Amino acid sequence: MAETSTARARPRKRVDRWRWAGRIFLGLMLLYTAVPMVWMLLTSIKSGFAAMQLPPQWWPAEPTLASYQKLLDPQNSVGADFLHFFWNSLIVSTLTTILGVIVAVPAAYAFSRFRFPGRNFLFFAVLLRNMFPAVIFLVPLFILMRWLGLVNSHGSLVVTYLTFGLPLSIWLLKGFYDNIPIQLEQAARIDGATRFQAFLKIVMPLSVPGIIATAIYSFIGAWNEYIYAYTFLNRNDQLTLPVGIQRFFSENTTDFPGLMAASFMMSVPVVVLFLVLQKYFVRALTEGAVKH
Amino acid sequence: MTRTLGCGAILRGTVVFASITSLIAGPALAAPPVDLSKWSPDYVRSIAGTEEFDTAAACGKVTPLDYKGRLTFWYQGVFEGDPDLLRQYYKDFFETFRKTYPNIQLEEQALTYNDLLDKFRTALLGNAAPMAVRLQILGGTEFASKGYLQPLKPEDVGWATEDFWPGAMKAVTWDGVTYGIPTNNETMAFIWNADIFKRAGLDPDKAPATWDDVVKYSKQIHDKLGIAGYGLVARKNAGNTPYRFMPQLWGYGGGVFDEADPSPTYGEVRLNSEASKRALQASYDMYVRDKSVPVSALTNQQADNQPLFLGGQLGMMISHPSDYNVMLDLQKKATGSDKDKAQTVIDNMRYGLIPTGPDGKRAVVFGGSNIHILKPEYVDGGKVDEPAAKALICFWTSPEWSLKMAYAGSNPGNLNGFKTKWMKERLDNIKFLDVTTSMLPYGIPFPALPESPEIMNIIIPDMLQNALTGAMSVDQAAEDAAKNVEDLKGGGGL
Repeated sequence: MAETSTARARPRKRVDRWRWAGRIFLGLMLLYTAVPMVWMLLTSIKSGFAAMQLPPQWWPAEPTLASYQKLLDPQNSVGADFLHFFWNSLIVSTLTTILGVIVAVPAAYAFSRFRFPGRNFLFFAVLLRNMFPAVIFLVPLFILMRWLGLVNSHGSLVVTYLTFGLPLSIWLLKGFYDNIPIQLEQAARIDGATRFQAFLKIVMPLSVPGIIATAIYSFIGAWNEYIYAYTFLNRNDQLTLPVGIQRFFSENTTDFPGLMAASFMMSVPVVVLFLVLQKYFVRALTEGAVKH
Repeated sequence: MTRTLGCGAILRGTVVFASITSLIAGPALAAPPVDLSKWSPDYVRSIAGTEEFDTAAACGKVTPLDYKGRLTFWYQGVFEGDPDLLRQYYKDFFETFRKTYPNIQLEEQALTYNDLLDKFRTALLGNAAPMAVRLQILGGTEFASKGYLQPLKPEDVGWATEDFWPGAMKAVTWDGVTYGIPTNNETMAFIWNADIFKRAGLDPDKAPATWDDVVKYSKQIHDKLGIAGYGLVARKNAGNTPYRFMPQLWGYGGGVFDEADPSPTYGEVRLNSEASKRALQASYDMYVRDKSVPVSALTNQQADNQPLFLGGQLGMMISHPSDYNVMLDLQKKATGSDKDKAQTVIDNMRYGLIPTGPDGKRAVVFGGSNIHILKPEYVDGGKVDEPAAKALICFWTSPEWSLKMAYAGSNPGNLNGFKTKWMKERLDNIKFLDVTTSMLPYGIPFPALPESPEIMNIIIPDMLQNALTGAMSVDQAAEDAAKNVEDLKGGGGL
């Protein structure tokens, strides 16, 4: 009896050890990801001089919110620009997200449910674009946008971001639809629903996590994009945040507190969005990855 | 000047000598508005505030003040990190221009230093460039040689060629034709922390006289205090690198070509000469042998040296004229005990002339910016509003605005700017200005070749990185760089 209990206790101990190792590993990963964010936040509340001190002031001796006040004050030229760039980024990212979902949902559904000639070829052709670095397409897309009369407009960015975001969105959503049993739709069709009604009333509600994950992915991609926004937009009133933040770098010096405050505020919408919707995002990634 | 160098008479003598040998070597021109052969801190002070200029009246003769038009314009802007004073002048400039020319619809775009050239190149490929552009001094010949720019000389906007530094005019001339007008010109100086010098057993008020001294001082500072001695920078594709290495290269008697000679022909590549190798060896000695420079030098640019200098972790560096004002701004915005610490750094700042090579040769990059008008076929919309462009260029290159726009960080491109009351005000307000203006006569323009941006921003930093990382020996790195320049000039890409 005693032997049996020892034998039973051993695996439990091993599990505990692994659990602790896992916790330590996760703690280290958390530190690895959180420290830069904390450092960014701490630098943003220092004065320009304090931010340049070496050895660094780990905790600001004289904390100040001057950088945030400047950025959020529309009367100040820096604040007016920052808020304008923020608004532009919001418009571009939201439009990209909405249009991306509108296109990706039916496209992914079609790849998942229909069998048609060239289906596999088309699906991989969609993914092909993601095999090349984005910068390769810079000049051709710039010439194309100019030909379309879209340079200096947010439309050029929305169209470009769609072409970059759609392949992964379609791939992600297709995986999700593949996991929704087709019998559910067939049952709806037997009950008299059209294919569109079955899609709208049966498939769509079940694929909400996937759609949300796709939306988050599109939004983050558009929100952070720099090189195309920098190339396509030539007017100050059109610039987006990633380009605007470059203004904290000058030829011979950098405004570190301003840069960090702007970067922190830029990360807020993405972090909030992710925190609110993360359960859907994780669910979509895991469910879409496994075929039942 | 004497407060930093302790030897005003010698300085004045050397400055005048350098003026005569380097500046008069420019093309034969009518008399300039200032006597360049007399160039010295005292002379600059004596002419400051002696003349009045009416910008609106002068530019009104080029483009009528009621002219109605539209202009797109890109320029290297001033941003958050720049001195407040300079940002205010930029703001004032555009406001004054709009007030003076109320019917010209100006669409200006400020771009950052490291991005301007790449963005401009992309726009040109898509025929979507602006009508006018203000570029770093390196850019003019590249774009002129490729046929993107319209011929443009000072006379086209109401000024005379002699109103500008001969060296600056070389930088906007390609194949005998002038394609732009200098807006501002500057030379850098040497900056050091007197307290660090003192603690390291060096004379706190004396800059290293030669580049060999820089190597020696850097090692002494590092050995005694455990901090970086000299602020070496070797980042690729960043303008700061050639601005800091070329003075060393020229000082040792080397060069990419013969650009340091009075009448350069840019025919023979000299990057693999013994003198050039000695200059590269000096950097190698500091980085590899003595480890007396920041370990991050390979990716550093000047903005990365500033925190080290401010934190008392760096003894000396080549400094932009604006650095002093940047420090003042940081001190002004600091709070509590940080304010006092910042003041201590400022009190310990010393400016001096850039060291010489072993043969007494002193050199510095003749830097600055130029303004250009594009050909219509490369411009968005296919049209260039020339009168509007000329109005803006006249304004910017006027004695008044070429001085104000360079108030804290450079010097007026238009030599008449030195005669204005604002120059007098600058001399009174900006400490060390006399040192940085004293370096002007030692200025050597980058080779006026279309390949210059590639050579200075890619090949030179590559050479440094190859030697400093040990990927190649100093000899091999110099030979490799020379070959790359030969290939580039022969039409090969990199």
